[in-house]
Amino acid sequence: MLLPPTNQALLARRAEIAAALKTIVPDGVVSDPSGLATYDADALSTYHQLPLVCVLPSTREQVSEILKYAQAEAIPIVPRGAGTSLSGGALPREDGILIGMGRMKRILEVDYENGCVVVEPGVTNMNITRAVEANGFYYAPDPSSQIACTIGGNVAENSGGLHCLKYGLTTNNLLGVTMVLPGGEIVTLGGKCGAQGGLDLLGLVTGSEGLLGVVVEVIVRILRKAPVTRTLLASFDTVPAAGKCVAEIIAGGVVPAAMEFMDKRAAEAIESFNQPGYPLDAEALLIIDCDGVQADVTHDMARVTEIVAACGGRTFEATDEKQRARIWSGRKAAFAAMGRIAPDMICMDGTIPRHALPQVLEEMAGLSEKYGLGFCNVFHAGDGNLHPLILFDVMKEGEFERAEAFGADILRLCVKVGGVLTGEHGVGIEKRDLMTDMFSEAELEQQHRVKCAFDSGGLFNPGKVFPTLSACIEQGHLHAHGGKLPHSHLPRY
Amino acid sequence: MPMAASCPIPIYRVTEMQVCNESQVIEAVRDARADRTPFEIVAGGTRRGVGRPLKDLNGNDLPQLDVSGLSGIRKYEPEELIVTAGPATPLAEIIETLATKNQRLGFDPADWSRLLGSNGVATLGGALSADASGSGRLRHGPARDSLLGFRAVNGLGEAFRGGSRVVKNVTGFDLPKLMCGAFGTLSVLTEVTFRVYPRPTHSVTLCLPDLAADEGMAALRKIAHSALAPAGLAYLPAGWPPIGLDSIGMGAALIRLEGAPRPLEEKVAIAHGLLGRARTTVIEDGQALFARIGCGEMFADVAGDVWRVHVAPADAPRLAKELNAARWLGDWAGGVLWLAAPPGEAARIRAVAAAMRGQAMLLRAAPQQRATLGLYAPQPRVLAELTRRVRAAFDPLFLFNPGRL
Repeated sequence: MLLPPTNQALLARRAEIAAALKTIVPDGVVSDPSGLATYDADALSTYHQLPLVCVLPSTREQVSEILKYAQAEAIPIVPRGAGTSLSGGALPREDGILIGMGRMKRILEVDYENGCVVVEPGVTNMNITRAVEANGFYYAPDPSSQIACTIGGNVAENSGGLHCLKYGLTTNNLLGVTMVLPGGEIVTLGGKCGAQGGLDLLGLVTGSEGLLGVVVEVIVRILRKAPVTRTLLASFDTVPAAGKCVAEIIAGGVVPAAMEFMDKRAAEAIESFNQPGYPLDAEALLIIDCDGVQADVTHDMARVTEIVAACGGRTFEATDEKQRARIWSGRKAAFAAMGRIAPDMICMDGTIPRHALPQVLEEMAGLSEKYGLGFCNVFHAGDGNLHPLILFDVMKEGEFERAEAFGADILRLCVKVGGVLTGEHGVGIEKRDLMTDMFSEAELEQQHRVKCAFDSGGLFNPGKVFPTLSACIEQGHLHAHGGKLPHSHLPRY
Repeated sequence: MPMAASCPIPIYRVTEMQVCNESQVIEAVRDARADRTPFEIVAGGTRRGVGRPLKDLNGNDLPQLDVSGLSGIRKYEPEELIVTAGPATPLAEIIETLATKNQRLGFDPADWSRLLGSNGVATLGGALSADASGSGRLRHGPARDSLLGFRAVNGLGEAFRGGSRVVKNVTGFDLPKLMCGAFGTLSVLTEVTFRVYPRPTHSVTLCLPDLAADEGMAALRKIAHSALAPAGLAYLPAGWPPIGLDSIGMGAALIRLEGAPRPLEEKVAIAHGLLGRARTTVIEDGQALFARIGCGEMFADVAGDVWRVHVAPADAPRLAKELNAARWLGDWAGGVLWLAAPPGEAARIRAVAAAMRGQAMLLRAAPQQRATLGLYAPQPRVLAELTRRVRAAFDPLFLFNPGRL
């Protein structure tokens, strides 16, 4: 993966740039190599390099001053939250300023009357829920890294999670942001009134992967926790039967809070890892959550059970919280469990139309044969978001390269059947060069002009999302070695 | 502007230039670009009376690009919860088709034709371009939460697409969001793909009569912040013609709940528990009442300018009090106030809304008033400049509906 060429002149100015930033944030500039090592990568750790200098602002005014300085000096900027991105969105540039937002972590206001919370960008996703759960509320998007990832990063990546089908992604749960534009100007988009009085720039900025500016304040909507949640484990003799069942449940008018698919290989690995009690004679498993008021859940569960049976599946319903947690513990350990069956794995993240599942699984099996590498599948089935896990051994000559090529082919397959390259992890650097497989030149240019409307100097997160002219097809992915993931304390699902 | 080939399918109006497929749109835009002729994009024409009237420098109407030929459902996949259609597809056609599979659009598209006195046919593209959401927006969000993808032609005369045909997608910029509420100022849409939702089999509308605005809207917020997933929360103050009740006294809080019969019963019971109030009646035709509220029809025969003021729901009672309009109502649990006011009140309405960090949208007014005031208050300078640059990124010559937004 090629990044835009490093500006050697900037490299030579490290001390001067650090000194200038110190006049803005006296106690928040890191410029020594050991300090910078903390920031050399995000969770896509295949790619790493030290930033030129890292600055840790505490106020929006400081952010504004930093950006004005960077603009005046034409220094690239890479914004970073907690660095949990799986697509390399926060990979630093060696000739750029890494702007770490972790110090801006105050919860500014909890407004139950308007059902929202106003926070600084460095607040973790989980801490928003923690701030309101005593009163029965929560923040709905739940990326697997939620104990560590920050809301600023969530806005940048439009983060998802297990419950997107029913509760939406970040973009559907935001009321407003205040951001600093590349030129240092501060603008507010949206607000508690839920309207913008013009173009929906809030929607544009959400998921823009740090290419348009730095978010310094976020207003999120909070929801009342559903009083009842029930969990069902369904097992099927064939993968197509499970796929059909997913489609039938949706067509049957039920929107489950979560609906997760696992193939036999994933289930076996998980079962040997933490014994959640998955049936090993099944070719495919579904975990289905329904939530809401009692009667709604009773109604939906009955409907789901009926549909599963009609599709030839068997059901096991958790009767208490402990069983529910046990069923989910397996799914949530899926990535870590892969360490049981292979020393290394990379996780892909494409979305497909649900009906294409059998075709995609079949073609993936063909690719697996072609590349001589195993894989298994976990899948947010409700919204068609696939997470194929490619298994390999980095110590074996050529396997990593083959795994990456396999992964790229899977994403091309997703696009071929009418899906997309990424459902929730973002393009970042990981899938940048595959963008041409999904978008025409005119489409990429259209998006790039939008980028230029914010960042005419091209200083914000250069080298991410949009392919450069180089046609290098190397890819990097979430890489786990020996079952150890970057940020190994975070669950990944 | 030259005539494109005439459409082989029915159209609603005959104007200077008709297009009925993407290549004709490309041709039309390239011609307009070559002549530097801005134009108005029209399909059903029901929302032409919203925003600044489109005039050239001499005060003449701009030429129109009639896109009503871009009509028809192209792909409906109920089990994928997705429908793809031409933007000029009549709302009625979409709604009817989805209903055959017990589904519906999430944003409850609002047909403003009665309010605006139009004889046209409200279309899907018009509703999304105007971000015209009805009362049901409360449950599934505005149009922008449902528009998954689109095809369009930009001001360079290039076809492009944004988004996709799947629900979960973070590949590249989220351009579908931008198209919603842009009033056709970014591109000419040629195809749109929406996420759809199951349509509950039953609904019930509760009415809490004789509540003052602050009390009534507090009750609505209680329901809004419950787990009941309400599909309509409106407040009607005294003065409205009868709504199928004896009397609403000081005002009525209206609560629409949905579900299968058993769950619905439970939801009603929970609602009663939350409201702690015995006096609740069920409105027979609540669905129709909410439809009238959501599309502004309640104001169709009310004199004066009609405004929609978006405000933080908890501020709605105070806003209503300060604006003191003769006719008003609150929808979305107070998140939007509809009101009618004499033209001279405009500046005050905008000022009061701004002081509460709200957005006052001038939805119906005489052309001169709309020309002077615009749809929204002017944005702060930095935001206005940014908006202009974003528009230029799509339409560098500002050919599409210039001035409307």
